[in-house]
Amino acid sequence: MMEALVQPRIHALGDTSLRVYQGGTGAPLVYLHGFEQHPGAAGFLNRLAETREVHAPEHPGFGQSGGFAGLTDILDLILHYRAFLTPIVEQHGPVDLVGHSLGGMFAAEVAAVCPDLVRRLVLVNAYGLWLDDHPMPDPFVIPKVELDAAKWADPAAAAAEPNSFDGDPKHYVFYRSQNLGSASKFMWPIPDRGLARRLKYLRAPTLILHGAEDGLVPPIYAEAWAAAIADSEVEILPGAGHLPMLEAEDAFIAALQRFLG
Amino acid sequence: MKLHWFAEASYPDLPRDFRESGESSWVTTPISRCDPRVVGDMTRMFIRLMQQADREGFDGLAMNEHHQTPFALTPSPNLLASVLANTTSRAAILIIGDSLALYNPPIRVAEEVAWLDCLSNGRVISGFVFGTPMDTLYCYGVSPVELRERFHEARELIQRAWTAEEPFAFNGKYTKLRYVNLWPRPVQKSPPIWVPGQGSVETWDLALQNDYCYGQLSFSGLHSAKPLVDAWWEHADKTGYDTNPFQLAFTQLICCAETDAEAEAKYSEAVKYFYRNRYVHPGFETGPGYRTQKSVEAMGRFSAQTNEKLPPEEKARANRGEMDFWDYDRHGFIIAGSPERVRQRLEDMVKELRVGQLIGCLHMGNLDEETASMNTHLVATRVQPHLANLWTGYEDRWTPEAVRNAKPVQRAA
Repeated sequence: MMEALVQPRIHALGDTSLRVYQGGTGAPLVYLHGFEQHPGAAGFLNRLAETREVHAPEHPGFGQSGGFAGLTDILDLILHYRAFLTPIVEQHGPVDLVGHSLGGMFAAEVAAVCPDLVRRLVLVNAYGLWLDDHPMPDPFVIPKVELDAAKWADPAAAAAEPNSFDGDPKHYVFYRSQNLGSASKFMWPIPDRGLARRLKYLRAPTLILHGAEDGLVPPIYAEAWAAAIADSEVEILPGAGHLPMLEAEDAFIAALQRFLG
Repeated sequence: MKLHWFAEASYPDLPRDFRESGESSWVTTPISRCDPRVVGDMTRMFIRLMQQADREGFDGLAMNEHHQTPFALTPSPNLLASVLANTTSRAAILIIGDSLALYNPPIRVAEEVAWLDCLSNGRVISGFVFGTPMDTLYCYGVSPVELRERFHEARELIQRAWTAEEPFAFNGKYTKLRYVNLWPRPVQKSPPIWVPGQGSVETWDLALQNDYCYGQLSFSGLHSAKPLVDAWWEHADKTGYDTNPFQLAFTQLICCAETDAEAEAKYSEAVKYFYRNRYVHPGFETGPGYRTQKSVEAMGRFSAQTNEKLPPEEKARANRGEMDFWDYDRHGFIIAGSPERVRQRLEDMVKELRVGQLIGCLHMGNLDEETASMNTHLVATRVQPHLANLWTGYEDRWTPEAVRNAKPVQRAA
């Protein structure tokens, strides 16, 4: 088996530190993970690293990243990622920013507030908007079986989902609880922190990628993103739910390569 | 020992098969189950029973805060406290308590408690509660990682507002007020404060360091509570605090009748109704980050100890309302029987746990008013007099002075 291109590193940032999965060479691509967990050195990140310099940080309060105590609202989170991106941009110019799920909300916020840092934006099954006529299920409450049914096109895939947990298996439950607690800061009780008001400031061309069978963020939200972002296009990935980078990896990689060049 | 009167104001008309329906009894319970006229009737009944408890000599009348549930229809305990402050004369008004993180701005709690203390001539006990996950995280939408921080900020604001000599500015993370200048102030300069907990060391330290009364408020009785209560006293002792029984409050369902057989006949269905209809959708029982890892691990240890005397399958049976009446009694979920039996069992229990503030639940589930009134009368006249002198060597700093100094109830010969 080929050695993984992306490797975890602890990265100092101001008065805190975060874990970043990094690797590859080429134009930088920054990947922001979803609300449950960082995928670790997952296959799709390694494939992206074949042609790009991949930076995939773990969000504050998730896994081994600190900095959560310093967050009060979404502005603090945006500033956190501005500080993370600035040295990369100083070296290479604006980055391509790919955000999945909760990471999609974060990516869109950063791109709206700090447009000079982002070349192209990809939102994958992103949280951040709310449609009263299409309320999303509460991912913190629904039982595991229902969560899996909503999350996957094929719930049998659940068992093989990669993550960044590397401790004693009996502590996995605390890793998960800590992650979801940190996610709740921006998703509880409704995953809307006012992003819709700020999307008009987006300048980066945006690709809205969405698994066709996502029951957590139903595909009608892809239409809502497209309606709210002027320079955007939508691609729906069949055979995938909330995690198209896992369930439709080839199509996911191809879409990114086409859009990002 | 102080004896306080309490009931969860449970909706009495859930159908027999409510539990089997699989509906959660909290947060999302269909409103089609609720007849507002029944709520009016039951609330008037609870007020009458608590007024009786005051006349008959109970030391306190307790009310709590829950939301969106037929288990307890008291969304604002301060409203019930208001009625009782004005129509009773002797007992403490024991608000146990206000969910501080749910009031915005929380100065509202400081104002209402101060006003109630005026109305009741200084009889208020102010309970500060985190609130259940169902109430706080789901019904009121507070993020689980913010709940504790909001609670503590509110707690500091309220206590300062009660005692400040001059207007002050409060620049909190969640509450910003330029002019805090409470009108009125409480009759008691700072009412006694009680905090309930579930066995976390953080809450024990909070109570001990601030001289709050700590409440072990479950409905699972002696066998479930024993390891937790022992650990609380051990912690107090180890950290250099007095182990004063009056600093511990404990809830206990009580079912008293002239004879043991009558108790079973009159209370059995209500006890089962009470436990059976407390089913909460598992997703609502906690939230990510609601409990710290330390607290989860401590709870795991306690439940392992509890399991020795009360195996999990027995506990599950109890919570489905399927346990035999006298098995509920044996495990301590209820204390039932003749006044003599109830007196003996209560005395053993409070001595074993060192309880100085016993919160007796004299009504449960769908119990009828006549039986609850009989329960109140029997406990006040034939049980309480034998327990009142327990722990007299200790100072009770957690009951209002006006209540401690109240004249004894005159009983008909």
